[in-house]
Amino acid sequence: MHRLKYNKDPRETLIEDQQGPKSKEEFEEMKAPYEEYCKAQFDPGNEFSKPHSLKGVRWLSTTMYIFTPHSVSNLAELGADVIKVEMPRMGDPMRHCAPFNETYLYPLHDTRPMTGTGMGYLNANPNEYHISMDYHLDEMKEPFYALVRMSDGLTQCYRPGTFDRWRQSYRYLQEINPRFTSVWGGGFGYGPKVFGGSYDILGQAHAGLASITGMHEFMGGHATKHSNWCIDWYSGTQITFGILAALHWRRKSGLGTKIEFSQVQAATRCLGYAAPLYGRFGIVRQRWGNWDTQLCAHGIILCGKSDFPDAQNPQDRLEARYAMISAFQDEDWKELCAITGMNDLHDKYKSRNERTEGEAQIEIYAALEKWAEDKSRSEVCKICQDAGLLAEPVMNDREYYEDEHWRMRGTVRWQDDPIFGDIMAHGSYAAGLMSKTPRRLYWIWRPVGADNVKIYHELLGYSANKIEEWYNKTFI
Amino acid sequence: MCDIIWCKKDFEGKPCDTVNYLDPYCFWNWEGTVNCAECGTVYYIHMIQGKMYRGPEERPGEKPDTSPLYADKPLDGYRFYGAGIEGRTRPFECLPRHIYLGVPDMVKFSIRGKPVRGWRPQPPDASNAGGSYGFNWDVERLSPDVWEEYQKKIKNGEVTEW
Repeated sequence: MHRLKYNKDPRETLIEDQQGPKSKEEFEEMKAPYEEYCKAQFDPGNEFSKPHSLKGVRWLSTTMYIFTPHSVSNLAELGADVIKVEMPRMGDPMRHCAPFNETYLYPLHDTRPMTGTGMGYLNANPNEYHISMDYHLDEMKEPFYALVRMSDGLTQCYRPGTFDRWRQSYRYLQEINPRFTSVWGGGFGYGPKVFGGSYDILGQAHAGLASITGMHEFMGGHATKHSNWCIDWYSGTQITFGILAALHWRRKSGLGTKIEFSQVQAATRCLGYAAPLYGRFGIVRQRWGNWDTQLCAHGIILCGKSDFPDAQNPQDRLEARYAMISAFQDEDWKELCAITGMNDLHDKYKSRNERTEGEAQIEIYAALEKWAEDKSRSEVCKICQDAGLLAEPVMNDREYYEDEHWRMRGTVRWQDDPIFGDIMAHGSYAAGLMSKTPRRLYWIWRPVGADNVKIYHELLGYSANKIEEWYNKTFI
Repeated sequence: MCDIIWCKKDFEGKPCDTVNYLDPYCFWNWEGTVNCAECGTVYYIHMIQGKMYRGPEERPGEKPDTSPLYADKPLDGYRFYGAGIEGRTRPFECLPRHIYLGVPDMVKFSIRGKPVRGWRPQPPDASNAGGSYGFNWDVERLSPDVWEEYQKKIKNGEVTEW
């Protein structure tokens, strides 16, 4: 075992007590080029050989859509055993309301051989065992409680009172298993709107987030929702933090707890200074689209020409025209004005405070877009980068997929799913790659009830006949 | 929005008065015959980009190519025919199709050319018990035609790593 050598003055640090090389020779030996060092630290592709941080945790998921499922999928990616419980034959409604039914993955269930699962289900339920159970039936209370007895917690998304009516709310479950943590991910949470359901877009609207997203009305913009279901993902991840804190609390107290979480409330956290600004000055924040209101120039501009004028895909042909330009420090601003020929604007707005005024930003970005009118996105970025300024194109999905940077980091990768074959994975590997216990993806999801035998028979010990009987009665 | 065929044919002594809904998912670019869900009269229609280009014209004696997805009788106490009533309406199957041309587009391979389980119908899983699935999709055994196509693709160099 490594022992610290204490010398007389504890403020003095010895090289032997530090991590890393212990001598100059060892240091020389361990030296590696920075790129090599980073690659070794990230180690993409070797996630499966590393330990799980949440091994031994078992969580139940009676959740739907993205928000609450994602709170549990984080645990599953970190190595917890997660059992997703779906309604028999139907499954999570997210399987059916995903975009583009051209991309359906089959099969959903043997009783519905013509129905698949939509791609929107992706990333919300990876690595989970999928069982089916109509848990509100009296007949299924016994296996449900048996699962509670041997699990650490449960996440659910029903309206308040529903689980209590079905005798499976926190007050019932803590009697069965005092170490059990019960999570309710609700739309509005407790308050006057406690019974209000929520969707991502509703959360964005009700929290005031949509009102500050998008272009200002004088630029032809409107209050805008963020794309995809970012508040679902965001608030789901916040629940995961709550779960980890509850597990930590249980180590100290030996007791489980109840977590109440409001999706709409989570969205208010994204408002930044908007509400305090109102509280202090009575100013209602406006939308400023692609400009950063604190810095200028520091925003996304529209260029005149497409990078791919002959492409068939309209996203490439028409949309590959946006570039992010950053030159907010005085020297950078001077350089930007020099290369774009906006010297009059430089003289007019010399300091940062002058540039960040609303009127100034309107003038500056209009002038930049005028300058970029006869240029393509990549020309604009090259001119700026050659002048030592920060500039990057706004990439679309295809460019993101093809980008060398993401491949080298292992963020975007192909994987062989055991049931669905060749799949493109990026969700699980978007974070935490440098961790000693990184996330990993075993499977993207399983058909409805795919693990009924595994869980009911192998884990809970019910006989095959019993399982068959439940299956025929559509209890599972 | 979808176009309709409002059938006014005499049926059992009174006008049929049934609204047959031509769902854009199926009929967007479509030419052929379709039956009335109530009286069974066969109509010829030709739709281009969701617009009725020709028809509806009665075609007595012909067999209908397809049926409307849904039909109702707004003047008759809101009786209706839901999807999937045999001989009257078409079952709703969300069939993936090529860009509205009516050709099913089953995804069998990813863009890098490796097999994807994304077409239908699938054979029931051999290990099925209580709705369970095994952990592996054995392409060669469960989908021999896809496996064969895959081998050809490998031979032609159409399978890449990226």
